[in-house]
Amino acid sequence: MNAPTPANRKSLRGHLLALLLVAVAAHALTVWALPRLIMAEVLRVTRNEGATSSGAVLRPPPADHTARRIVMPSPDLLYATCSLDLSEQAAKISADIDYPRYWSIALYADNSDNFMVRNDREHGARALRWLIVASDASYPVAAAPDVEIIKAPGSRVLLLLRMLLPEDEAGRAAAEAARKTLRCD
Amino acid sequence: MSRSRLTALYVLALVVGVGSAWLWLTRVGPSGVDAGVWRVNLLAGSPNADAYTRARVAIGALLALDRRETLYYIARTDQRGEPLRAQCRYRLTGTAPAARWWSITAYDKDFFLFENSAKRYSVNVETAPRDAAGWVVFEVGPETVTGTPPDLPTRGEGTLLLTLRLYNPALALQRDPAALAAPRIDVVGSCR
Repeated sequence: MNAPTPANRKSLRGHLLALLLVAVAAHALTVWALPRLIMAEVLRVTRNEGATSSGAVLRPPPADHTARRIVMPSPDLLYATCSLDLSEQAAKISADIDYPRYWSIALYADNSDNFMVRNDREHGARALRWLIVASDASYPVAAAPDVEIIKAPGSRVLLLLRMLLPEDEAGRAAAEAARKTLRCD
Repeated sequence: MSRSRLTALYVLALVVGVGSAWLWLTRVGPSGVDAGVWRVNLLAGSPNADAYTRARVAIGALLALDRRETLYYIARTDQRGEPLRAQCRYRLTGTAPAARWWSITAYDKDFFLFENSAKRYSVNVETAPRDAAGWVVFEVGPETVTGTPPDLPTRGEGTLLLTLRLYNPALALQRDPAALAAPRIDVVGSCR
């Protein structure tokens, strides 16, 4: 076998370094991209299925063993979701949630970060009126005095309403009635 | 080195990069602090989360809330340090956590709920059985034909995951989630 020439050794070192860089870059890209890919799919499904419902809101039934979309669903909560596209206009959110138990509305960025959450105690009994705007929006933003303007870090946002479900049927009906007041326009 | 061999090496490097990320995210336990056998990630759902935490949460607990709103404690082992298994029966014993509302849910190895005839998927502040002294005491395990049915049924074999959710936890717990007097998880009898 011939001994490697200095030029060959240099080439081999170059390839080894390049291989290491490719592996590290693939590792980092996978970690970075996974939450964004998963959120993109959740946003897509919510948008498609919510498009035909009242107020563009997806209102799934309470989670049981057949719920296979979002991992670790809570069986104690009633959910509602909206997929918001803020790239060309702001999203108007409204709800009149008269409900005596815990509820919250959380906003998630397209990388899955929860950038805002408001619960029943913080919000109080008043009607909920939000205008959600992309932080880099180029469109004009104007809102009535009773409307709260919320800036999102990007143009794709998932809104998630959680309502604590009681065991009794009357309480569950009240939760459903309150959930139906949510609109995402 | 031939061009085809070089191409194969670069493809292998790609596979190693992607595969190592996936294994790290799914096989290595999440970072966080422990309360007994329960672990809570302090950055779940937070915009301050690092890339690994964000990816782990997306895979195993998407759409989490931050710890001011909800603390998520996850147990993967019993008091002996043995992995929780769906085919085993466990007794959970503890005090009610300091939170506005709490629940414990059993999840299958795929992070979804166990199918069971009673449609019981969680034990919460309102439904948790308590003994005469006020301790929360209940059992998790497979449905049985004879004997006392478990309060929280599992099915099949493989990994069992228990999640303790605290909604609006007390301020002291938000500041120091490791201070939770978390429920004990003791195996009952022998596993099938």
